[in-house]
Amino acid sequence: MKLGAAPLVLSLALVGGCRQDNNRPPAPKPGAPAESPNGQAPVEWFTDRAAESGLNFVHYNGASGHFYYPEILGPGVALFDYDNDGDLDVFVPQGRALGNDAPAPPAAALPLRGRLFRNDLQINPDGTRSLHFADVTEQSGIRATGYGLGVAAGDIDNDGWIDLYLLNFGANQMWHNNGNGTFTDVTKESGTDNRPDFGVSAAFLDYDRDGWLDLYVGNNVHYSLDNRTACPNTAGAPDYCPPQIYGGRPDRLYRNVGHGKFVEVTAKALPRVKFGPALGVSTADFNGDGWIDIFVANDGEDDLLFINQKDGTFKEIGLAAGVAVTGEGKAEASMGVDAGDFDNDGDDDLIMTELTSQGFNLYQNDGHAMFKDISAQSGLSAFSLPYTGWGTGWFDFDNDGWLDTMAVNGTIVMREGAANRQFPYDQKKVLLKNLGNGRFEQVTNQAGRAFELSESGRGAAFGDVDNDGDIDVVVANDAGPLRLLQNNIGSRHHWMGMQLVGANKHDALGARVRITRAGRTFVRRVRMDGSYGSVNDSRLIVGLGTSDELPRVDIEWPDGREEHWLEPRVDGWSILNEGSLR
Amino acid sequence: MCRNALTIVAVAAALLSASCSSPQRNGETPRSAETAPKTADGRALNQVALPDLSPMAPSAQKQIRDQYGSLTKTIAAQPAVTDLSAAYGEMGRLLMAAQYADAAEASLLNAQSLDPSDFRWPYYLAHLYRTKGDVVKSRSFFERALQLRPDDVSTLIWLGNAYLDQGLPEAADTQFAKALALDPRSISARYGAGRAALARNDYRRAVTNLEEVLKMDPKAASAHYPLSLAYNALGDAQKADEHLRLRRDHQILPADPLMVELEQLVQSPQTFETLGIRALEREDWPGAVAQFRKGLELDPQSAVLKFRLATALNMTGDAKGSEALFEEVVRTSPDYFPAQFSLGVLRQQQDRHAEAVDRFSAAIAQRADYAEAHIRLAVSLRHLGRAQEALDHYQQVMKANPQNAEAQFGYATTLAQLRRDKEARAQLMAGMKAFPDQVMFTHGLARLLAASPDDGVRDGQRAMSLVQDLVKRGRTLELGETMAMALAELGQYDQAASIQRDVMKSADRAGLPAVAKRLSKNLALYERRQPCRTPWDRDEVL
Repeated sequence: MKLGAAPLVLSLALVGGCRQDNNRPPAPKPGAPAESPNGQAPVEWFTDRAAESGLNFVHYNGASGHFYYPEILGPGVALFDYDNDGDLDVFVPQGRALGNDAPAPPAAALPLRGRLFRNDLQINPDGTRSLHFADVTEQSGIRATGYGLGVAAGDIDNDGWIDLYLLNFGANQMWHNNGNGTFTDVTKESGTDNRPDFGVSAAFLDYDRDGWLDLYVGNNVHYSLDNRTACPNTAGAPDYCPPQIYGGRPDRLYRNVGHGKFVEVTAKALPRVKFGPALGVSTADFNGDGWIDIFVANDGEDDLLFINQKDGTFKEIGLAAGVAVTGEGKAEASMGVDAGDFDNDGDDDLIMTELTSQGFNLYQNDGHAMFKDISAQSGLSAFSLPYTGWGTGWFDFDNDGWLDTMAVNGTIVMREGAANRQFPYDQKKVLLKNLGNGRFEQVTNQAGRAFELSESGRGAAFGDVDNDGDIDVVVANDAGPLRLLQNNIGSRHHWMGMQLVGANKHDALGARVRITRAGRTFVRRVRMDGSYGSVNDSRLIVGLGTSDELPRVDIEWPDGREEHWLEPRVDGWSILNEGSLR
Repeated sequence: MCRNALTIVAVAAALLSASCSSPQRNGETPRSAETAPKTADGRALNQVALPDLSPMAPSAQKQIRDQYGSLTKTIAAQPAVTDLSAAYGEMGRLLMAAQYADAAEASLLNAQSLDPSDFRWPYYLAHLYRTKGDVVKSRSFFERALQLRPDDVSTLIWLGNAYLDQGLPEAADTQFAKALALDPRSISARYGAGRAALARNDYRRAVTNLEEVLKMDPKAASAHYPLSLAYNALGDAQKADEHLRLRRDHQILPADPLMVELEQLVQSPQTFETLGIRALEREDWPGAVAQFRKGLELDPQSAVLKFRLATALNMTGDAKGSEALFEEVVRTSPDYFPAQFSLGVLRQQQDRHAEAVDRFSAAIAQRADYAEAHIRLAVSLRHLGRAQEALDHYQQVMKANPQNAEAQFGYATTLAQLRRDKEARAQLMAGMKAFPDQVMFTHGLARLLAASPDDGVRDGQRAMSLVQDLVKRGRTLELGETMAMALAELGQYDQAASIQRDVMKSADRAGLPAVAKRLSKNLALYERRQPCRTPWDRDEVL
């Protein structure tokens, strides 16, 4: 199939489009910064636009020198379209003081509450974009004044509006999106109050294929402010304790029995499981049987892979599948996680961020949920050894058709000589380009000034914030400012943008899109989970590189239906409704 | 002294004198010279600055300051280059041991450039960069160390590991092969060779090497996982599964006297606590005691160290000393819940259940979600006849973690203790379904069905059927007792009595006279042709 004026076989409006942005000089191809026409400095691959776009948020973790454990954990961040206007809004949790002698929060962090920012993106007639966010927390009705950690999003009652689940140190909250710009606290009614637990990451998924989104909550440790323990280093300098000091809490699986009412089914659905201190959760169909599975990254203990048994239960096979520990048999830190088809062989592989000197882990799926640790041979391990990684994700930043990855980082050991700084746990981000041959290249120093910032990175949400056809990244920093890393180069290559809408009006989470091109079939899946305590854009951008060959696109919907998209649209956004294709 | 050395010394003295002139105070900012010094031939020495010492333990602060003072004096004394190098090296080692890698780096680099022939400095630098995650520099310095000592087995192994981290298994294999040629008994070299073979997909060779590791040291549990992967790749699913089950997280490291020396450098309570814990892991009980005592010399009030010492004393058999120390910790640091818990365990073992209840309750007051404390508290409450209260504690654990089999079982048997046998039966059946690998539920159900006082619960046939299934998995005294109960319930009193006598003899032989005495009660029943109606004695509570 060739590019051309192919008629659209879709319904509803397009969401943005890809036009030349006349206000921006041509971006360089990845790997080589290009001169701008007037000889000015090369264009950055990513530019932080948070401040100028109105995403003014500074996280406050209340760190007071007592090393309360939650201080080192948050926050995540969510990218989701709460008002269904076709662009991505942002929600970010906020912390608070945990003791009586915490320092005053910075002015930019006030008032201390989780914030909702509405994206008022304008696409001008000439194709240029004006990115602007408005803080709409007050009018939204969301009262998130606890110690916020992570966030999950999904349409729990199939009314077509995305709801929010907030994970706190303390009681979690379920906020129902009323569809009119406001939210209502339905925690109690929904049955998902997680007391007395303590979680960071959660994921919505329809594990029983009944058309209602269920909820997996990854719980962390048994911790209260009363049982805090000092963990000094060898020289006696105190610091944060590892999770093993407190012991892991069991996770919880909630089944949606309809209309946003949940019942806990953990014991029945996840029998005989040794849970650990969960930090990251990612859901995908790892064995290709059409049923969604769950992967849980546990901090310092075996990670868990739950394979859906199609009868309302799961079987935990992490160790046997080769994904619970490294190839050496070590259970590592495992903070952030994402599933994605990095090698374009049609199945979802796993990436996990780890501590400094451990190296991030890359597990290659054989298509049947058996994995091989290729962290070292891919180069991923060596490039990531200096970092303690948190939020991470698979994303094709340059739209060449291969999933790249980045991680936001921050140490858990106090920086030397920095005891008098407010929160000295900073590190730089890292960007790794997929070379398409099973190996990665370190390209951080070409990514732009935003990657030179040394901050305590935690949440990272990936999505096309300006709807220009490439994936941007919102980064939440622990005790630091929110960052919006606008991608300046991805849209220079061909791409396909898809928003999948399931039969039940919601985002078709778990749907798999098979793309066949040049004799190769790879998959991209609809997901909002993964990373660290964060919510990703549920829409898909498939990079197509420079080739003008149209791909074949087949969709496996979460309920098992398969459809073929007759005439895919390239270099633009399309909404694909289940049942409207062939 | 040569002119170069004099220049170096003069410059170094200037470097340090500027930093030593300001008065010392807690929390001082790092002290350093203002200009980067150079040697006579243009090579620069690094600025050596102390980090902020204020967060450190006082003993460590003093030690580091003293070392810095010693370095200053050494420089002022205009020593030979090798002596100056050693002085920088010792400063670097101490900072590295104190986990101040950035501060250590400068000193160690100076040591290395002043005396490139000293193996120690590139070796420590290699490790320093390894912990910082800089595999390129780490590898480079291991290679440099190897140039100085080509036959150093530890260096070869660490270099091999660095190559593995970089996805270079062939290069790694070369290092491990060299190490094995020098020391064929090196477990870590053999383990590395196994990992390298696995990384190269040479599964047979991986199996050979890793099996050899386990042959040399059956406790090298880390070898099981890669061995499982290798067997899996070779299609031997059974062996793969066997090794997978045996897998444990356990480091296989080369013998490394230099790093061992480093780890003991810092004079801090934490150092001795770490060394003591390692001794405990090696089951070197006297060694652990010695280390914890050293730690207490530096911090006599440390609840943690007293607790650890108490634990170690218990392992040496000094029960009195151990108990006294646990009591002291509980008295002086009542918020330190591990001591409350451990003392509770001791009291429970001594059948002093009222005191055990107090201790476990205190532990729970500090850690409300401490499952083990709840369960043990429940056990002691049951011993005191407070079974209803015990139920609450089991329920708390089950609510927090439905996967806690021990709590479920305890709950079920407590229901039986309260004569709520129908509920107990339901609970045991649910436990059998939820935890099919946990035979205690099956056995408990068999016992209840055999001997429940509730006619609506008893089912001798089913009890016997369950017992017969369990016997296939292995015989125990308790199972024999249950079998006797089931036989009696079925009216087979002679057989029941015969089994009971056998069990009593086994108990005697096993040195359990109290058990044998307890069993005699039921024997008397069977001899009178009466069934048992007490599934569990109070003494049998877990």
